[in-house]
Amino acid sequence: MPASVHSQEPQEADQSMIDAEPEVDPIMLEEKRVVVLPGSSETSASFQFENEGHTMGNALRYAIMKNPAVEFCGYTIPIPLTPRCTFAFRQLVSLTKWNGWRSCSLPRTPRYTTTALEALEKGFSDLMDLCDVVTEKFTDARDQFNEENSNRMQS
Amino acid sequence: MEYEMDMEPTGPQVTVREAEPYRVDFRLSSIDLAFANSLRRTILAEVPTMALDLIEIESNTSVLADEMLAHRLGMIPLNAKNCDQMDYTRDCDCEDHCVRCSVTLSLHARCGNGIMTVYARDLAVQGERMNDTIGDPVITDAEGKGAIICKLRKGQEIKLTCLAKKGTAKEHAKWAPTSAVGFEYDPHNNLKHVDYWYEQDAAKEWPISENAAWEPAANPDQPFDYDAEPNTYYFDVESIGNLEPDMIIQQGITVLQEKLATTISVLSGEGEDGHVGGVEDADMMGGADPDAYEPPEGMDGHLTAYGNGAAGAWGASAQTPYGATPYGQGAYGF
Repeated sequence: MPASVHSQEPQEADQSMIDAEPEVDPIMLEEKRVVVLPGSSETSASFQFENEGHTMGNALRYAIMKNPAVEFCGYTIPIPLTPRCTFAFRQLVSLTKWNGWRSCSLPRTPRYTTTALEALEKGFSDLMDLCDVVTEKFTDARDQFNEENSNRMQS
Repeated sequence: MEYEMDMEPTGPQVTVREAEPYRVDFRLSSIDLAFANSLRRTILAEVPTMALDLIEIESNTSVLADEMLAHRLGMIPLNAKNCDQMDYTRDCDCEDHCVRCSVTLSLHARCGNGIMTVYARDLAVQGERMNDTIGDPVITDAEGKGAIICKLRKGQEIKLTCLAKKGTAKEHAKWAPTSAVGFEYDPHNNLKHVDYWYEQDAAKEWPISENAAWEPAANPDQPFDYDAEPNTYYFDVESIGNLEPDMIIQQGITVLQEKLATTISVLSGEGEDGHVGGVEDADMMGGADPDAYEPPEGMDGHLTAYGNGAAGAWGASAQTPYGATPYGQGAYGF
């Protein structure tokens, strides 16, 4: 196992978790809703979302982990007791989909098939599609139930 | 891959098991626990409804204190159908409040003799509103009275004007669309997510829920399947009448989608130039080759909050409120 990548990448992520005081070096985006934390690279990044919690965090983490190109994704709410709506959660997206390691003759260059940002966006769109499907299935099931019940009442 | 396996061929399934005017009981399957829980959380706390939020008391000679009365009024469920037509007052362009972000109700009751009971039905909508029903007190009892607000003795009077606003239960429970959301998975505890407390025999002491009839129990002779994941969820959504139960669920999903959509738009807005707001360039260490990994230079520079640089918030030069550096005179603030 490539100890170098395995041990260092999460470490890098850990580092950014500790170091990341949003006030220190915030890369401000629209209303600071999404912040890319320091220490991020193209294939391994930490994102911080304002005003989000487990509601979006866990589902999104799961959706991202479903992507076979993603090696690891986790999230945390660093300070659970911060006042309502000011807490942030961080999304760690570290991506290493490599083909090179197992056949040792290849140069030790992992081949990334996707970037952290792409994976994050894919996670979002997957979850969005899932929501659409569930809404659709729910309305279908409800209509079916109503139909069956009205039939039962008539007969 | 598993990914294709449980997403594509079957997809999520919904079975409505019971539906009543104020309740819907359904089974959601072929979906992951994270999503089912997100849905439960949005339904509980983030579906917008209407509730009285600002009470202007002109006269209150009842035995209840103004605060008590205001609290009781806040708890009265108000019709919130189509409340997506409304704006949150904090987002509205108006000076204080307007038709787009509030509904005004008034209440005037004076007891002539005996004891008068003031009910939610006595709240009258004043002026215009976004649609014909929004802000009406929810009245579900046979007599059509609604919730009791207070009781008045002879000569006592309450006169007040209330402002109903849109909000979510995340802010205050009075905006909750549901009184309860039942949520269960794995009623047989096949996955051993629950460790039952028991005296002699957990199987005898813990009644099995009704949902257990909907799925098979694991064969006790089989070894424990540690790869198994929850797959089927039983929801029992109980509305308090301000929204129809199926609307609550659809709204719950919509709220979740809105959360995603706003974040997607922020992300895609910055993604147009191919970089995340330029940060990747500034911070990328070792370029595209991860073997060239080096610890971030910012360990003692601008990148870290704990560095000993002048910019470090917790730098060694930082004085604590107690006069000394936080932990001795070490090079690092921590």
